Amino acid sequence: MVNTNADRRAAQLRLTTSQDYRQAGFAWVGSLIITLVLLLGSYDWEREAFKPYIGIACLIYGIFTLIQVLVTLLIRRDLILKGDIRARTRALGYIQLLSLVTANVFLVTAALQLIQKRKSPEYTLAVYTLLTQIAVIGISALNLYKPYVADTFLTGMFVLLAVAVFHLLVVVLTARFVSRRQISRKLVWIAYPLLLTSLTGNLFALALGIILLVRIRNRDNPAVAGWEDVLERMTRNTTAMLGLLFIAFLFSVSVCSYVTFDYGMAVDNNYSLILQPPSLAYPLGTDNFGRCLFTRIIFGARISLIVGVMSTVLPLLLGGTLGAISGYYGRYTDNIIMRALDVLYAIPGILLAIAIIAAFGANTVNLILALSVGAIPTYARTMRANVLQVSTYEYVDAARAFGSSNRSIIFKHIVPNSLAPMIVKATLTIGGAVISTSSLSFLGLGIEPHIPEWGNILKLGSTYLETNSYLAIFPGLAIIALVLSFNFFGDGLRDALDPKMD
Amino acid sequence: MEAAKSGGIPVAEVIGDAYGKLLQNASYRYFALVLGAPVNLFTLLVHRTRTAGDIHTSVLRETREELLASGLQKELQADFTDQLQSKARFFGQQLTDTELEAEAQKLTAERFEHMAAQRAERRLQEQGLTRSTFISTFRSLLQHPLFLPLSFIPGLPLYLLIWLYSSPYLKYIFERLVMTVFVIFGVAVLVFTILYISPFDPAVNILGQTATDAQIIEFNRVYGLDQSYLVQLWDNIKGIAMFDLGKSFAGNEEIVSAIGRKFPVTLELTLFSLLMAVGIAIPIGIISAAKPNSWFDYTFMLIALIGLSIPSFWQGLVFILGFSIKLQWLPATFNPGNWLTFIMPVVVLGTGLTAAIARMTRASTLEVIHEDYIITATAKGLSKRKVLLKHAVRNALIPIVTVIGLQFGAMLGGAAVTEKVFNISGLGSYIVDKQFIPDIPAIMGGVVYTAITISLINAIIDILYAFVDPRIRSKMKQY
Repeated sequence: MVNTNADRRAAQLRLTTSQDYRQAGFAWVGSLIITLVLLLGSYDWEREAFKPYIGIACLIYGIFTLIQVLVTLLIRRDLILKGDIRARTRALGYIQLLSLVTANVFLVTAALQLIQKRKSPEYTLAVYTLLTQIAVIGISALNLYKPYVADTFLTGMFVLLAVAVFHLLVVVLTARFVSRRQISRKLVWIAYPLLLTSLTGNLFALALGIILLVRIRNRDNPAVAGWEDVLERMTRNTTAMLGLLFIAFLFSVSVCSYVTFDYGMAVDNNYSLILQPPSLAYPLGTDNFGRCLFTRIIFGARISLIVGVMSTVLPLLLGGTLGAISGYYGRYTDNIIMRALDVLYAIPGILLAIAIIAAFGANTVNLILALSVGAIPTYARTMRANVLQVSTYEYVDAARAFGSSNRSIIFKHIVPNSLAPMIVKATLTIGGAVISTSSLSFLGLGIEPHIPEWGNILKLGSTYLETNSYLAIFPGLAIIALVLSFNFFGDGLRDALDPKMD
Repeated sequence: MEAAKSGGIPVAEVIGDAYGKLLQNASYRYFALVLGAPVNLFTLLVHRTRTAGDIHTSVLRETREELLASGLQKELQADFTDQLQSKARFFGQQLTDTELEAEAQKLTAERFEHMAAQRAERRLQEQGLTRSTFISTFRSLLQHPLFLPLSFIPGLPLYLLIWLYSSPYLKYIFERLVMTVFVIFGVAVLVFTILYISPFDPAVNILGQTATDAQIIEFNRVYGLDQSYLVQLWDNIKGIAMFDLGKSFAGNEEIVSAIGRKFPVTLELTLFSLLMAVGIAIPIGIISAAKPNSWFDYTFMLIALIGLSIPSFWQGLVFILGFSIKLQWLPATFNPGNWLTFIMPVVVLGTGLTAAIARMTRASTLEVIHEDYIITATAKGLSKRKVLLKHAVRNALIPIVTVIGLQFGAMLGGAAVTEKVFNISGLGSYIVDKQFIPDIPAIMGGVVYTAITISLINAIIDILYAFVDPRIRSKMKQY
């Protein structure tokens, strides 16, 4: 009795701690949701007819989802009976890799994790590097159906393809030569080219290149650095990595769109193509000036990213500095700074932004400044609380006893140790900044109306809500996806940096 | 009244004690000295005349002379020089002799004065005497039956301050209110300054490019724009306090009455959204925390995250598309008489808040659930439900209510977007509309009155806490 109970508990523990099992479960749920959405979309309610293309897509997704459910059950059985996943079950991952063709990101990530038994964070990063690259190529390739493409399109696509092949090589090499404890010195030869490929905007490639170089440099040092644990926890968190994947993809597309997309498609009027429904040449349809909505959304991504990141970084730096000074010096300094910030804090961010824009006019720079000013107090408060806490630690006393100057104590000891909550807070508020940006643009107070920005596109689309509702729906979905990604990433970062939350 | 008269001496003692404590508080001291200037001056005079022949000064002088004679100063000087030298050696610093000398001398002088004062104090105590101070003079004056009644009128502000200071609750409420007033004042100054330094010329904006110089001068004179910054600022602050901001640039309507008409609409919308958010989010957050990592938890937290990520204007458009255009269940635009038109704006405005509160409730309850007193409650045999509701949730609610208070402000601001989507004539859409002109006094009034509402609500929440939460209460009494 006791034995069976203990066995059952051990099996349960194996299930909950197995990354493969968790991810497989997550994958089939995610895939099932997409399948259901497709199922709903495949039926035309007004004409009471079945749409063949979406129906076929739904069928394919359904089949892969079914296989994934089977795989999950097999993993479960293996874990309960054997305590480990059999090689045969892992081989099923290669079948699931085929879902790459259907762009099912849930299944592909799960499959790539499944086929590799010993997963290092580097392998996961390499996988996501490759996926980002493939996604960028896929999105850019949609331009092939357009009547004309940018002059640099073909060269750009070849470069991207070559980079993707190289990234595939990186995946294979990291799978073979990198593990938790050791790393081959020869990997320097892929680390530098990897850094070079990050010029395509692939953030994963950049991160992987830097991590490889740092690990190769520290390979003789037996100690495990703190950031490696954080990285490990981060790469095991599927939702956070998927969020990061979308952010990296959007960033990369924003960079690559200079080469592979034609800006004219997004801004030049074409009166022969007004308000076309979605087609292969215009995947999301055209707007009331005959401009390609898809291209406009792609070009809008860079504005959203820039404004979102800038209006987070500026108050992070300013508020962080004020908070650090306030927390470290205390007394009058603290009182003066915090009371002044209380005034800012009392005005709702969006109203303050409206007042600033009313005073200085609506353009991108003013928008960034207006959004930044309102966010300063929250960062200052967070930083101040951290600094107050860190200042009481022994190492700060020790530094002071050794005669360090205030400056070096603040910048060498206090600030680095109170950064983690600030970074988490910043990631979680970028999403809010993106929403504020598009909200203000929607009200006509943000980005100049001629620039394709998601809020502007939506504002135009909202006037055609009754007849061409897709004009308003797609940019909104893009905003949600970006904000959701930042929120997933921020949640993951918080869990990774703060182990007590587990 | 009778009791107060017969117990005159205890009252005087209480006042004296409270004043003594008050004077030790740096920020209150200045106010007390200024507010009670006549009383303080009188006390100071009495104090001076009494100190002239004070025994303390003579004792101090004697002690100093004795210590000087004993050669203590030399001893201290040698000690300090020694210490400084070894310190310099340890840190590898190079100090010149003169620097060292000066530093040692400074330290010696400080220490010597300190020791002399201490010894003099001890001697006085041995002789059974106390040193006469300002506050002891004040106390002895209070004992005099005539002092309190006579000084009551000139010292009324001072006595009020002392009364406030003597009770921790009153002091807390008073401080919080003073801070609120300060914040409101700051908001008015800030918003006015932002609009004042605007590079645009309102006269040209309103009258158009073709306006003649005479027209512009006349416009500026009518709206007081030809005055200096300080005069305009003072007029505006006075206007906000007296609820009279004059007429708006365009449309020639009374700003405050326009705001008064539109603000209730926004407030009603916000309050209903808040009610909806609290009603939905708190139960979900509690259940999620009670069963962490369950299906319920995952599903609802995912929905909450999505709710947090939806821009409200898009959600509004999709609702209009779905419920008004396709299904034709609800009217698309707002109409004050029809409560059906109220549903969509309330849901749209409340979505973000619902998501935020649900996440906050879950996090806060999860944190509390691992506290020792929850284990104690379980160990003494309470049912799971009782532990959760009586012990966990009650303690978890405190940060949640703070978040709700703060989010309420964000909602009042965010209402602007929702109001534009559903065409509601609330304060938010008023500010946005005026922004395009730009109608400076109207924007100023709208933003500042919203900020005032938010500050007052947050102040009330903070003050209520002080009465509800015993932890805050005990902290309050300590200082």
